[in-house]
Amino acid sequence: MRTLVALELRTLLRDPRTVLMSVVLPVVLIPALLLIGSQIEDRRAERAEQRTFQLALVGEESQFAAELVESLRDVRAVEDGPGFRLVEIGNPREALDAGSIDLYLEAFSTEEWRELVEAEGIEGDAISPDLDGIRVLRISYHSTRTASREGAERLSESLLDRHRTRRDSILVQAGFAVPSYQVAVVEGVDVASERQVQGARLGRYLTLILLGLMVLGGSVVATDTLAGEKERGTLATLLTSAVSRTEIVAGKLLAVMGVALAIALVQLVNLWVFLGTGLIDPLQGFAVDVSPGLVAALLLLYLPVVALVAGVLLVTSAHANSYKEAQLYLMPVLLVLVTPAMAPLMPGLSLQSAAVLIPIANLSLGVRDLLAGNLQLAWLAAAWLVTAGAAAWVTTRSVQALHDEGLVTGDTSREDSLEGPELFPKRILRWILVLWAIKLLLELNLRFEDIRMGILLGVGLVFLAFPLLMIRRFRLDPVEALALRFPRPGVWAGVALGAPAGLVAAGTVLHLMDFVVPVPTEALESFGQALVPDEVPVWHLVLLFAIVPGITEELTFRGVLLHGLRRRFGGVALALVVGMIFGLFHYELFRIPVTTFLGVILTAVALLTGSILPAIAWHTLHNGLAAYLATSGIEFGGEEWLWGAGSFLILALALWIIWVCRTPYPGVGEGSEG
Amino acid sequence: MSVVPVRTEALSKVFYDESRGEVRAVDSVDITCSPGEIFGLLGANGAGKTTTLRMLSTVLRPTSGQAWLMGHEVRDAPERVRENLGFYSASTALYPKITPRETLRFFARVNRYPRRRIEARVDELIERFSLESYADTRVEKLSGGMKQKVSIARTVAHDPPVLIFDEPTVALDVLNAIELREIIARLRSEGKAILFSTHVMSEAEQLCDRIGIIHHGAILATGTLDQLREATGRHYLEEVFVHYAGMRGKIGT
Repeated sequence: MRTLVALELRTLLRDPRTVLMSVVLPVVLIPALLLIGSQIEDRRAERAEQRTFQLALVGEESQFAAELVESLRDVRAVEDGPGFRLVEIGNPREALDAGSIDLYLEAFSTEEWRELVEAEGIEGDAISPDLDGIRVLRISYHSTRTASREGAERLSESLLDRHRTRRDSILVQAGFAVPSYQVAVVEGVDVASERQVQGARLGRYLTLILLGLMVLGGSVVATDTLAGEKERGTLATLLTSAVSRTEIVAGKLLAVMGVALAIALVQLVNLWVFLGTGLIDPLQGFAVDVSPGLVAALLLLYLPVVALVAGVLLVTSAHANSYKEAQLYLMPVLLVLVTPAMAPLMPGLSLQSAAVLIPIANLSLGVRDLLAGNLQLAWLAAAWLVTAGAAAWVTTRSVQALHDEGLVTGDTSREDSLEGPELFPKRILRWILVLWAIKLLLELNLRFEDIRMGILLGVGLVFLAFPLLMIRRFRLDPVEALALRFPRPGVWAGVALGAPAGLVAAGTVLHLMDFVVPVPTEALESFGQALVPDEVPVWHLVLLFAIVPGITEELTFRGVLLHGLRRRFGGVALALVVGMIFGLFHYELFRIPVTTFLGVILTAVALLTGSILPAIAWHTLHNGLAAYLATSGIEFGGEEWLWGAGSFLILALALWIIWVCRTPYPGVGEGSEG
Repeated sequence: MSVVPVRTEALSKVFYDESRGEVRAVDSVDITCSPGEIFGLLGANGAGKTTTLRMLSTVLRPTSGQAWLMGHEVRDAPERVRENLGFYSASTALYPKITPRETLRFFARVNRYPRRRIEARVDELIERFSLESYADTRVEKLSGGMKQKVSIARTVAHDPPVLIFDEPTVALDVLNAIELREIIARLRSEGKAILFSTHVMSEAEQLCDRIGIIHHGAILATGTLDQLREATGRHYLEEVFVHYAGMRGKIGT
């Protein structure tokens, strides 16, 4: 095993690109970033110091404004250096647009202001009548220009400051008539020490940055070590030698870990050298007191993270047949690994919660707390164990991956020669994953005023285009791929009975779920109601909530997806897998179990009848009923157990009818070992 | 008591393919190979040669049947099997970043060659395969012919009693192929039991002591060239092969 690790490291060190990418680059990156950051900050501060903002004064009361700005010079100019230069200008708005001035200040009397508010429809505080006679100052600036924005900020701050001082002195001079006990000065005190605040700030990002660098550096070695070896043929050589597969994986894992650990170590030492010793002017807010002891503690905390990262990278590499393929997987893997490291950025998330059970997230929270000077030893230990456990599990997965014969032999030649319909079963899951990602992006980014448009595009178009694309891309026979066959007539009775029962049963599932994960109340009260806009013609409802999803979702899931997976699993597993994938396309957490439940039933119906048509009818009927119940506000009593039990009985009866009239889906499970 | 170096009994491998269903890549294969003998597996591409040899080298697990190398069963003692085996194929490559000397040292070590004798063994191999001039140059900088010699030296680095050559000449030019065959013949004279697979008839004719004709995963006939000629009444191996494969009514793949 030592021989194996030595070989890995020797190979690594002899490849200048690998060394550059995985060691040198990360080593210089952080100090470079810190250096650039602190320089930018210095320059910005310098520029702000020297900056003279071009200011124009406008309005009937501009004399007042001029005096005010003049007085500012006494107050602010001394502290902050040169401030504002007054510019005479005809049309200030045009000058501001053109950039020849940075901002202008208008002064209005109360009457003028009120007229302006009336005329321009400005929203904002109306001036109360008892303040008649005061003046209103308006600062106009252009937020796309830094100078303009900063000038406006500075002017507004200075004016308020000046105003406060003046008001207080006026009040005192006039003999302040309010009893002193009715007045209070409000002061805020932050009891967190400067060190804690800045430690917490650094702690929020530290894991994320380190993890990103570890993944980038470690992946260079990991992809080369299994996928690259497979491609070069050296893995075949190694597998016919007397080393065991466990030893091979262990050797490679240690090598990847070594690199990831080296990166973590180098960065932490970097942190100590540059921040701890003050070699680089610390960025504002990152002036953390980093001691060698702290670096050692952080390193210990990051050990399981390093192991987990190395394990995940190795599993990824083991599943790829070539270097290129491994690189393809890298982006999603990076996202999966980095996401939990963002936990410290989530407001209100603390280690002392269920978060302690999430690998990486728990330790990144722990690191944040530690840097903020808040040491929770027991929780930290739990977090460490959880992440270490995950790392151990992932490592055993990579050993298993080497036992998987298809992966070992790296035999892609047969797959390459496959094409069209024969290739389709091997590609369908990849395509479904792509569809899932596209749908997620649409879901997050497309917001329609009218939900109807959203359904038409996000459901109708997407789920119609996908099966058509698959049929075209893989030259599938549409009748076969979409299971366009007529079932026996008796099946329709089963569908008519089953769809309403299934709807009530789904409501019961939602209530059952409540015991496991609390479901949002609004979801419980009537799930689906929130989706339905008011005052929509009934035929729109029927079309958009029932018919469109009923047809298009079935074409995708019980059509091409089921067709593609049919040989891979037996009947029961197939229903579960397709149902689950269907469920995962409903991105809200509380909807997934219910839609999975529906998806399993619909897949079962398609498998029993060998046809997509009953599933389409069932799905349409289900959605139509749900929408109708939601809009008409009828309670169908999902809360009562009698309803629940009854619905399951009728559902079973319906499925039995369909089973009696069955004409099974062809080819199910033929390619599986079971 | 001497063990038979290589022996298989009803060795079979079934693959499951999602689009084609069950594929019997190797179907009840029985072969043996003795010390100082070259046993040739002769068959077309896709006949099951590589799958058979991969099962013997423990890279693939047999679906049924058994195979022994130096008395060790492939499923029960895979590591013992590999210790006694040198495996060479066109796809078993060398590590590009290390030198031939390091390569030989590495493989002798991972294949459990006695530690104290490794350096002497490596020197001996370098001399025997005439690798002196480039023994300390990185493999990535070597020519194809040089790499081939290093590869063979790597295969025998731990002095295994059994050698498997899986279509070794498939990617070689004529001169390199001739040199490789000479080396294999020399290894036979040292008493190694050698399994050799090929789809080139002339190669099998020249090199193999016994030939097994494999077609669609099954061994159709086994014997010396003379025995096969006698049994079929044909002179050329090509005709002998067509005779057997044709009897099955399925020529080629």
